[in-house]
Amino acid sequence: MASRAENLARIARAATPTLLGVFGAFMLAAPLRLFEGAVATPLIPLVVVYFWSLYSPGHLPAASIFFIGLLQDLLSGGPLGLWPAVYLAVQYVAISQQSYFLGRETHVVWMGFAVAAASVSIILWLFMSLMSATLLPLGGLVFQMLTTIAVYPLFAVAFGNLHRRVIIEV
Amino acid sequence: MDVLGQDKREVFGLRTNSHTGTLLFSLVALILLLSSLYAAEASVFEKARETAMETASPILKLFSGPIGWIHDRVGDVGDYFRVLEQNKALREENAALRQWEEEARSLRAVISALEELDAYEAPPTIKPINAFVIGEANEAYAHSMIVNAGAKAGAAVGYAAVDERGMIGRLVSVSNNASRILLLNDIQSRIPVFVEGSFVEGLLVGRSTSNPTIAITMLANGARIEPGQRVVTSGAGGVLPRGLTVGVVSKVTDKEAVVELAADYARTRLVRIISYEFPQIDEIEQGAESQSTSVPDQSAVERSDDQPAPQAQAAAATAPPSPDEGD
Repeated sequence: MASRAENLARIARAATPTLLGVFGAFMLAAPLRLFEGAVATPLIPLVVVYFWSLYSPGHLPAASIFFIGLLQDLLSGGPLGLWPAVYLAVQYVAISQQSYFLGRETHVVWMGFAVAAASVSIILWLFMSLMSATLLPLGGLVFQMLTTIAVYPLFAVAFGNLHRRVIIEV
Repeated sequence: MDVLGQDKREVFGLRTNSHTGTLLFSLVALILLLSSLYAAEASVFEKARETAMETASPILKLFSGPIGWIHDRVGDVGDYFRVLEQNKALREENAALRQWEEEARSLRAVISALEELDAYEAPPTIKPINAFVIGEANEAYAHSMIVNAGAKAGAAVGYAAVDERGMIGRLVSVSNNASRILLLNDIQSRIPVFVEGSFVEGLLVGRSTSNPTIAITMLANGARIEPGQRVVTSGAGGVLPRGLTVGVVSKVTDKEAVVELAADYARTRLVRIISYEFPQIDEIEQGAESQSTSVPDQSAVERSDDQPAPQAQAAAATAPPSPDEGD
């Protein structure tokens, strides 16, 4: 029985990054309205995807990222497949730049996240503008991305501790 | 943080350099995206959205409960610092409301007089459904809310949703116990409206701006629109009832009038869904026939004459803007 409990614990640990991404997607669909709606809800799934794609892609497989993105699309009522494509692109770039970022100082990785968030914003804006056939306002999107970039260090520290102490059982 | 990826580098990751899964799922995502764009209204995708909304609604309720509690507490703290100015504002509002009360009393007298007239036809009864906001899309280009009332409560696609300030949007997706409201500032939102004071009919088009301002296109007599005029739903098209408060004209340019919405989406908690059945011509004719066969009475004939009038009005209301569209 001990081995079964151990197995369950191992599965729970392995699923933690995915569950965090799902939690982030639900946070995006909750009427959070930080500071009476003055601050946009940060894109926590983007942080989750970037962080684990960089440090341990094996713990957040492409299937999980696809699911997280699809959930976000379904909850927001937007075109299906948009966020999975965006998150998988982030994962692809993060994995390919892994050798550069691994072992670097925290603020370098943070800058990397800022670049990733900016690229995602440009892709989203271009795509949505093409879809609606008008140049959409950039303000809200930029504000949301800046909020996400600003809170990234907090989540990175929390995720880092979680990863070291819980997920990969040192 | 520095430990991450330095010492554990060989332990990390089962297949660190495998792009295969990413590429495969990216392909699936892109195919899904293209097909959902080509068939946005396809029943499969709509069904998927409804199922997801239905499944997610209990979880969203769990999320929104504590959020609402915190908002109430935080709101209270904020109020303490604004007591004086709020008091002043309330006094002014009270004075203004007293004037409105007088006007409402006189209007009530007029209405009761009208109701006594035999010719007066009461508008179709509006049945409101109360619902709480349990979710909303917090993305830059998606403006919608999820509420905890669905088909079981009587909601249906196309119904209007209002809060205590004014109209907030229209139902676009309804499952058994939850519904999605497309907000008026979403890029896909189109609502037929009427500008009071200038008697202009128009289409309210969402612009996805962060502060909810919306432009009226297709102005019939745009020159007559002035800032400060009230905007209400026009009832054209027969889906929304006429006269729901939408907002106030804040700016007028050559081609459009920007509307400041009455609703404040950051404060919307309780929503009323307005189920409104517009009188249908064919139903009335059938009703008139059956009535005339059973009771050959004068009233049935009268009704069949009177009832189509709102329909004709609505049709006439939509017609004038179209010639100006080409200008």
